[in-house]
Amino acid sequence: MEIEKLAIRDFLAGCDPLQQLAATSLDQLTLALVIQYYRRGSAMMQTGTRNHEVMLIRSGAIEVTTAAGELYGRYAAGDWIGYRSVINDQPVSLDVVAYEDTLVYLVPGRLFRQLMQQDARFNRYFSNRKPERLRGAIRDIKNSDYSLLSIYLSELAHPALTVSRDTGIRATALKMTELDQSTALVTDAQGLCGIVTDLDFRRRVIARGIDMEAPVEQIMSAAPHTLPADAPASKALLLMARYNFRHLPVVSKDKDGNAAFGVVSAADLLRSQSHHAVYLVGDISHAEDSAALKRLSQHLPQALLNMVRSSLPAYDIGHALSSLGQAITRRLIELAEQQLGPPPVPYAFVVGGALARREQTAHSDQDNALILADSYDATLHAVYFANLARFVCDGLDACGYVYCPGDIMALNEKWRQPLQVWRRYFEHWIEQPEPQALLYASIFFDLRCLYGDETLLTTLRRDILQKTQQASLFQAFMAANALAFRPPLGIFKGFVLEKNGDNEKVLDMKKRGVLPVIELARLYTLAQGIDELNTMERLQALADAPGGISDENTADLKDAFEFISTTRLEHQALQIEAGVAPDNLVSPEQLSALERRHLKDAFAVVSEAQNRMTRRYQANRFR
Amino acid sequence: MMFSHWLSPAIQQKYLLQKVTEPTARRYLATPLPDKNTGVADLKFLALDFETTGLNARSAAILSMGYTHLAAGRIVLRDSAHHLIKLDIELPQAGVTIHQITDDGMHQGIPLAQALACLLTQMRGRVLLVHYAGIERNFLQAAMKQVYGYTLPFVWVDTLRLEQRMLARAQRPVAENQLRLANLRAQYRLPRYGAHNALEDALATAELFLAQCSRLQAQNAALSLRDIMG
Repeated sequence: MEIEKLAIRDFLAGCDPLQQLAATSLDQLTLALVIQYYRRGSAMMQTGTRNHEVMLIRSGAIEVTTAAGELYGRYAAGDWIGYRSVINDQPVSLDVVAYEDTLVYLVPGRLFRQLMQQDARFNRYFSNRKPERLRGAIRDIKNSDYSLLSIYLSELAHPALTVSRDTGIRATALKMTELDQSTALVTDAQGLCGIVTDLDFRRRVIARGIDMEAPVEQIMSAAPHTLPADAPASKALLLMARYNFRHLPVVSKDKDGNAAFGVVSAADLLRSQSHHAVYLVGDISHAEDSAALKRLSQHLPQALLNMVRSSLPAYDIGHALSSLGQAITRRLIELAEQQLGPPPVPYAFVVGGALARREQTAHSDQDNALILADSYDATLHAVYFANLARFVCDGLDACGYVYCPGDIMALNEKWRQPLQVWRRYFEHWIEQPEPQALLYASIFFDLRCLYGDETLLTTLRRDILQKTQQASLFQAFMAANALAFRPPLGIFKGFVLEKNGDNEKVLDMKKRGVLPVIELARLYTLAQGIDELNTMERLQALADAPGGISDENTADLKDAFEFISTTRLEHQALQIEAGVAPDNLVSPEQLSALERRHLKDAFAVVSEAQNRMTRRYQANRFR
Repeated sequence: MMFSHWLSPAIQQKYLLQKVTEPTARRYLATPLPDKNTGVADLKFLALDFETTGLNARSAAILSMGYTHLAAGRIVLRDSAHHLIKLDIELPQAGVTIHQITDDGMHQGIPLAQALACLLTQMRGRVLLVHYAGIERNFLQAAMKQVYGYTLPFVWVDTLRLEQRMLARAQRPVAENQLRLANLRAQYRLPRYGAHNALEDALATAELFLAQCSRLQAQNAALSLRDIMG
């Protein structure tokens, strides 16, 4: 019998969680299988029946519904069905129907339970509680040392200052000072023979009183460890930790084949984790004109890519990218004021949407507005603010923050109004909510002041939060609105997917991924009068607030949001790497079976949270 | 055996029991073959595939056989088997690349009589399931004749013929190569199997049959052996 040659065994070996299963267990599993075929539309399992086999889908797709007929999820090749009833030895609690012609492999329940006991990974995978599984997955991602493994020294090293070994100590120090280097590499005819750092001058020259004119070889560390430029950064970190030094020569070949030397420092390695972002903010705030800002903004995709590669949490990446968006906006306003002169009346330049929440990604448009002091007189001041808005919004568009498709920009006169008009806007939205108005108004419930007189916004927000707490009709409308964005229950095969430009089935990670959580967190905080903007921070505040959301639910929701956000950012990073304009449309095929599974768990958590929201705020009144 | 073409299997079995002495063959003959009117749900099948050194059963030999059980709409891998047959001839080069059976592999095999005895034990009371019966039927008959001196009766379903008849009934034209196992499987959206191996092909045939049956049974819930055999 040639089990190892069977395609079935290969398929099993590629399925989660069987990849690491021992060969003998895999053989045993293969031989124990039963194969069954279900024509589209035929029933595969029924609520209340006993089940003694776990299904692994080989091809086709199936649909799972609750006894009440609600769609629970859709599953395809590589997904497991029926394991809960087998593990718990309980009747089936859901209906399973073939959604397409489907071929399944059935694992006998006895063998399945045996594997649960024998194999820790297998056991974990089928662990009963989805949120726990999801939390484990997030931990795995964050703990992976992916960051320094995937960055190469060639990307981090700077060209080194080299001196010959007979160069004087003083001459070396002068050169280092002149070139602003903290290290010099020492060479002789054979090549690299040593390294000196700032520290050596302190420890070896001053402390020991060595003659300043003596050759540098007397104070160098001889025969230093080196690494080739194509070594991963993680190797440098290991060497540094092991031998306790802070600077490492990096050897590469120049175009003539001669050895070229660079240096990488411990600080470079640490900085690579949050590469660019911090430095970019500094450069942006000194940019001389819009053109310089536009040039700097072109580093944004790379900054995102670096941060994703470093496995930073999505929350941190959102903050860092928003800091960049904020810096660019602020600098544009400063430049506008330089050109137009000081403002005739105080104003606040406020932003909405992702930038306000500090959740920007690679694909962001601009949402902004001007709150003018009530001393504003349209006949005298309108032109100034129109010009300012034009300057800033055009500049943002040039920097990649494209014009808001809904026209929610300071460019639009409607959103360039004195405080008292804004008060009326909000009163209207809160006291006489209409679904259409609320669609874009929801952007204005996340407002942050980036420039100007911040008190204009803080007074407005205080009033808003007082009103939203009482306004149950408003809350119900917001809840109904939030339900416009539902997480997909099955993330492939069928109606839950959108089509992209190439007519491929894709999953909109913004609309169906992050927005359901963002909308939900906004509603709860507005209803509770909590003054937070960032979704994660809102959720945390809700957990802390009496009558918010339970700690457990909040923790689950935060995990789900983090996982969905990470998937979205990883997709954008891949697109940036591939030289494609980043978007939010993820093709399910590009996700691994495991990622799809975790994503499904995350969506299930969000979906449950939405159901609780619906009940609490009576969203059904308008549906 | 001229009469094997027109005598019922039951009569052939009775007749051959008087002639055949080999115990395995006798046990096979003593077990009634399935009746034509049996419903498909109550039938037991044995999906079978041979790899051979050529197409002509008189001059070529069986290299390997693979088979798997199918009953009540379920393929059970536990009872599957794959036998390499030990031959006394050198393998022709051309076939080697197709079957990935090398001379070495073949010499590790078992004698044809032994493999046939295993197969016959599994065939008792079952319907053979093959894709393109031309090969398996002729080679099986030749092997029986060689080992037992007589051709023993068996009933079979040919998934290729079955598809042909379904297409003819629907008055659909048949494209070239459309009826090849891999192409038919693709039409039924069954997964692609790469390796050319007798057991893999037997499994592939069994899966195809499940798909065909599910379609036929959707039209005729009382589908019986008569409707699909031959």
